[in-house]
Amino acid sequence: MKKGLKNLWILLALAFVIFFVLSIFDIPEICGYKPKSSELADVIFKEREHDSEETEDDLDEEYAEAVVTDTDTISAPKSIFPVPVDTTTQTILFIGDSMLDGLSPRLAAYSNQSGFHQYSVIWYSSSTEKWSKAKRVKEYIDKINPTFIFICLGSNELMIKDIIEKRQQFVSDIIDQIGDIPYLWIGPPNWREDTGINQLIKNNVPEGCYFKSDGMKFERRKDGAHPTAASASLWMDSIIRWMPEHSVHPISFEMPEKKTGTADHIFIHSPSED
Amino acid sequence: MIPQISDILYNIADLLAYNPDKPMLFSSGLFWVLFLIFIPIYSSFRSSRLKMTLFVIFFSLFFYYKSSGWFFLLLVCTSLIDWLLSRLMATLKKNGQRKFVAFVSIVISLSVLGYFKYAHFFLWNWNAMVEGNFQLPDIILPVGISFYTFQSISYIVDVYRGRVKPTESWWDYLFFLSFFPSLVAGPIVRADYFLPQIRENRQASTPEVYAGLWLIIIGVVKKAIIADYISQYNDLIFDSPGSYTGFEALMGVVGYTMQIYCDFSGYSDMAIGIAAIMGFRLPENFNMPYKSQSLTEFWRRWHISLSTWLRDYLYIPLGGNRKGTFRLYLNNFLTMAIGGLWHGAAWKFVFWGAMHGVGLIVNKMCRPFTSRFDGKVWFSVLSWAITLIFVSLLWVFFRAASWSDSWVIIASIFKDFSVDSIYPFIQARNLWVTMMAIIIVTHCFSEGLCDFFSDVFVKSPWLFKLIVFIVVVQLVIELQSAEVAPFIYYQF
Repeated sequence: MKKGLKNLWILLALAFVIFFVLSIFDIPEICGYKPKSSELADVIFKEREHDSEETEDDLDEEYAEAVVTDTDTISAPKSIFPVPVDTTTQTILFIGDSMLDGLSPRLAAYSNQSGFHQYSVIWYSSSTEKWSKAKRVKEYIDKINPTFIFICLGSNELMIKDIIEKRQQFVSDIIDQIGDIPYLWIGPPNWREDTGINQLIKNNVPEGCYFKSDGMKFERRKDGAHPTAASASLWMDSIIRWMPEHSVHPISFEMPEKKTGTADHIFIHSPSED
Repeated sequence: MIPQISDILYNIADLLAYNPDKPMLFSSGLFWVLFLIFIPIYSSFRSSRLKMTLFVIFFSLFFYYKSSGWFFLLLVCTSLIDWLLSRLMATLKKNGQRKFVAFVSIVISLSVLGYFKYAHFFLWNWNAMVEGNFQLPDIILPVGISFYTFQSISYIVDVYRGRVKPTESWWDYLFFLSFFPSLVAGPIVRADYFLPQIRENRQASTPEVYAGLWLIIIGVVKKAIIADYISQYNDLIFDSPGSYTGFEALMGVVGYTMQIYCDFSGYSDMAIGIAAIMGFRLPENFNMPYKSQSLTEFWRRWHISLSTWLRDYLYIPLGGNRKGTFRLYLNNFLTMAIGGLWHGAAWKFVFWGAMHGVGLIVNKMCRPFTSRFDGKVWFSVLSWAITLIFVSLLWVFFRAASWSDSWVIIASIFKDFSVDSIYPFIQARNLWVTMMAIIIVTHCFSEGLCDFFSDVFVKSPWLFKLIVFIVVVQLVIELQSAEVAPFIYYQF
């Protein structure tokens, strides 16, 4: 091998080794910032998914159907929470990660049609840890004074190792920040098997306050993770249909005439914010 | 827990298998791991041209298999038919017979492209015209078919014109058509430019290798850091038009204008850089297009390999500027409209191309009146601004999901614009704004300055290069939204 090519090869190989090693071990914080690691080791060392008796189609069939079938054909299971629907005018606070890109315009269509106020807070690449540490849920509750909160968080935590130990306090803290305000936590739309984020949310959130999205079928955007606009709309439709008979605090939405709506205000936070 | 060897082997096999959701792009980790294996084998085969050729073909076909599955066989068949017909053409003396063979080859190439890319489009239009209900099964579009079809046509036409001698061996031609750096997204390489390089079998010098690495790093920064990051916001605007203020919509349009440049030129830079490391030169594909002061200049700086291909194999055969003013305008319009259709099987792409054609006509019509202002600063600034606004507005039609969405976005810019949005926008999306500023500032660099940075990198110590490479890769990891987002031109 010629010298130039050999030196280039050593450079690439050394860089690969560094990133591979860093993907095995947790990278320590540098000046208060924790660098992300690549998924190299996870991809190579992940345990093979063995065939199980329970197929994907069997899992959460009612949810899976909800996304792919027509609105009126869904037959939701009988309610375990015989709670009257709240028909008062709502001020909705919708917070979460980039999944709100797709969900928020559709929820806004429902809000606009129903005469509700909706405020969306999109914090890109955010996690339960970030929301908890920044106390941003409380900050927006104080600012907006909502009557109902939707949360969509967890998508950026599908692959966290030992997540139950690491993130328990943050999920619990977010719920504490919400306090007595009725809410619904929309689980992440898994595009790969998670390491426990769905279980963690489920463990901390009362039944009827958690909509499990894992198991639903989505048409994804090119990044392979985010549902397309159309699929995210169907996702939101499924949540709205699910609420009357499953939510501990169902609210009365009217079927929107438009595909998307406009929130009263959308607050954006960039990934680098703390 | 110690991982099982069987699990590791299974995972590696899974990585190497075709997965339509995870094509192998130059910005993916898998490509770089395979490139690490590729380099020493390639280098050891350089002494034998045959071994080198066959190995690169094997790697290229595997690269294509990772993106398009078994369609790599289509590429092999296309190359074999082209090569056999080119050899047949070489044996024929009469021009009419040669023309017929060239015609047959072009018809075959265009038929394959037409079936995979345009069958649904034509049938949809046919159904709309006759109110029919003809349906085709789902057709998967082989990745990069538009690019290699154009290369194949240029080869046949050049052999017919006598500009290029047909290759002696099929594998030389297959090497040319399947060369992995330019296979899925160009630059579109001409046979007369590339085939001599295969015969030459030249090894890259040390400065050329590092110049290639520099181009790759620049490409990664443009594609995997800037374009992929700013696309998050742009997608928001284009996915929900009408949900945002006029200023936000304007930023979405400006953002997409920069995104498509960074995305495509970044990938081209990576392709040129990888080829340079291997000792091959690929033609320049972008030259700071948003500096252009006219549409004519824009098309000399944007996707240069496509522009020159359209000029040489469509515009000039149509008559170019040799048949009077009206034909000049008509030929410009037709070339751009067909160029638009090349970008995608939808009327929005035809409209986008046709409007560029109209812009070129207006540009040519105005030249006699405006040439007296050449060299004046105010005229240069005005020309630049008009060109950039025109190009940016047409990108809206290129990107938006539908005709109505395009108009909603443009209308909201004019109807719902408020300067009050500017400060909160900058505050909330400071990283997005920073990245946009970086693109705009670097666009103001002169070519000399870009060469200077490249020289500094090439001459820098090895450790400095390693640190730069690691920093760039870490930035990609920090900013990537999820898996690798396929680049915009990938679908063409």
